[in-house]
Amino acid sequence: MSAEKSDIIRLESVAAMQKTMGDYFNRLKDAAETGNKKIAWCSSVGPAELLYSMGFEVYFPENHGAMLGAGKNADKYIPTAVAHGYSPDICSYLTSDIGSFLQNETPLQKMGFESVPKPDVLVFNTNQCREVEDWFSFYARHFDVPVMGIHTPLNINELSEGIIQNVASQFKDLIPELEKVATQKFDIDKFKHTIGLSHDGCVLWRQVLETAKNIPSPINFFDAAIHMGPIVVMRGTQYAIDYYKILLAELQNRIKNKISAVPEEKFRIYWDGMPLWYQLSSMAKLFARHDTCIVASTYCNSWIFDDLDSKDPFVSSALAYCKLFIVRSDDVKEKVLEKLMTDFSIDGIIYHESKTCARNSNNLYGLQNRLYNKLNIPFLEINGDLNDPRCYSEEQTIIAIETFISQLSNQVGKLDKVQL
Amino acid sequence: MNKLGIDLGSSYTKGVLVDENNKIVDYHVSKTGFDFIKAAQKIIDKFSSNHEIQYPVFTCGYGRDQLLVPYVSNSEIIALSRTVFDSYNRKCSVIDIGGQDTKYIKINDQGQVDKFKMNRKCAAGTGSFIEEIAFRLDVSAVEFNNLVKQATEEVKINSFCTVFAISEIIGMIKNGFALPNIILGIYNSVVERCVEMSPLEDYLIITGGVPDNHPEIIRLFKNRFNNCDSPEKSQFMAAYGCVLLNNET
Repeated sequence: MSAEKSDIIRLESVAAMQKTMGDYFNRLKDAAETGNKKIAWCSSVGPAELLYSMGFEVYFPENHGAMLGAGKNADKYIPTAVAHGYSPDICSYLTSDIGSFLQNETPLQKMGFESVPKPDVLVFNTNQCREVEDWFSFYARHFDVPVMGIHTPLNINELSEGIIQNVASQFKDLIPELEKVATQKFDIDKFKHTIGLSHDGCVLWRQVLETAKNIPSPINFFDAAIHMGPIVVMRGTQYAIDYYKILLAELQNRIKNKISAVPEEKFRIYWDGMPLWYQLSSMAKLFARHDTCIVASTYCNSWIFDDLDSKDPFVSSALAYCKLFIVRSDDVKEKVLEKLMTDFSIDGIIYHESKTCARNSNNLYGLQNRLYNKLNIPFLEINGDLNDPRCYSEEQTIIAIETFISQLSNQVGKLDKVQL
Repeated sequence: MNKLGIDLGSSYTKGVLVDENNKIVDYHVSKTGFDFIKAAQKIIDKFSSNHEIQYPVFTCGYGRDQLLVPYVSNSEIIALSRTVFDSYNRKCSVIDIGGQDTKYIKINDQGQVDKFKMNRKCAAGTGSFIEEIAFRLDVSAVEFNNLVKQATEEVKINSFCTVFAISEIIGMIKNGFALPNIILGIYNSVVERCVEMSPLEDYLIITGGVPDNHPEIIRLFKNRFNNCDSPEKSQFMAAYGCVLLNNET
């Protein structure tokens, strides 16, 4: 096995992505320092478009949580939150974020921030989990600022008219409360424009992810987990659109020139659940070393809101944010996964059971066995956590992953599929 | 020339010396300790004093890539499956109970691994669970297997967590429970953790250092499953499988 195999072929767009993200944080810093714009904190799949349209700079604590995880600092902060009454069994984004706040440390300080930008308002959507409400409420109490949100029904099977209308009206109900904080009144045309931008950004992000349908794939999960930054924090802005045009062009160019994300792609894996942020780089190398590309994931696909429609901004927002994978029933999830297996020519599935994120672990209610019985695609379950490395056994997981890839290599006909 | 398979496990390192006809010539097991290189070398030294060894050697386990001599590393799960299929030549399920890991492996009628699962991130259901409790009770784990034969009734141990299980056992001691009955509870706890890994519907093979050293655990499995077997010296099967796998390539 050559050392070169584990070398990751970096996307050249990284530089543009870093600039896009750097500019985003500079705008936030400017708002925090000068007060020229109000700052809203938003959950990662919250109503970002509404906030951007009303002139807020928007900060996403989950993005901050991922930064703490990727920086391998989460376990330094989680115990502080635990000492303040937050269970180590709840979301480790939450505990690491609150812990770092209590210790007055943040990776943003390296960018010149004094601390995380003080919120003027906090806005959540419980479509992803209830933790976001408790998380934001901590800061609302601390800063004595309003916290508000959308309470989306959970485990949605059918997206009924009743659900959509209910959530759409919750979007509308936020407006008078936000206007009390914002520097500008709500403007329907600005909102429609922002929804249009968000739609276009999401379409580009979908196209980016869909380049991985190509064999070999020009992008893998580990790239996507990094390059999803702009669609998470700048959804509804031109900045995200501009960036994903650059990334998409590079990926299309890679396909044209037969450049693959993993130099010798033989196996194509679907990743379910959260990334292990503190293991991103070592896992990318591990899979590359074994000629395996993770071509699609539940996590990265979660930021495709292409149902957004500027002609009907409230209803389409409700539809897009209720259609989200994480908020759907297992029956719906099973159908979505089934289609993805075919679309992306998947050889095997890895389910990451995240200790502190049951909502984003899809092997808890037998789905993995049902899908296996239906599709006969081998799967592996690994135990870990999105941010808390104390819940993860690296050596055991490496053995499991290497064995899984050996298992795939024994599947009749799999090697014939590979077209390099 | 003899080929050498080494399974560098978390607790013990197992070596199997194999002749040109794939017959096992000798076995050796020793504690792994904190130095995989030394643990592997100890096995190599043990065999090389009487036999000529062919390099590379074939390895698996946590320390599979921690050797200073030429080696080819393998997955211990694939290696174990190879030996099991070689021995039984049938579709089966394997429960392998080691020092730190418990594994469930489903082998199809072609000898391929269809599915496998490893224990969750704690000592429950592994050898460490037994050893920690033995240490706390100040009874040699080796003695457990003799003592358990005197059990008159089972005491149920509920805790997954080793530390909580020990607290639970302290409560039992305070309430006058007999040690053999407590040990039966400990053994049954290990069996329970294994049984919940997957429906064990196929012919069941029990392997690993724990059943080798605590054969009463095998009896508990056999009480529950009609079609169940555990080969002798099963803890060496993965090391042997490493050699078999590499004969084929």
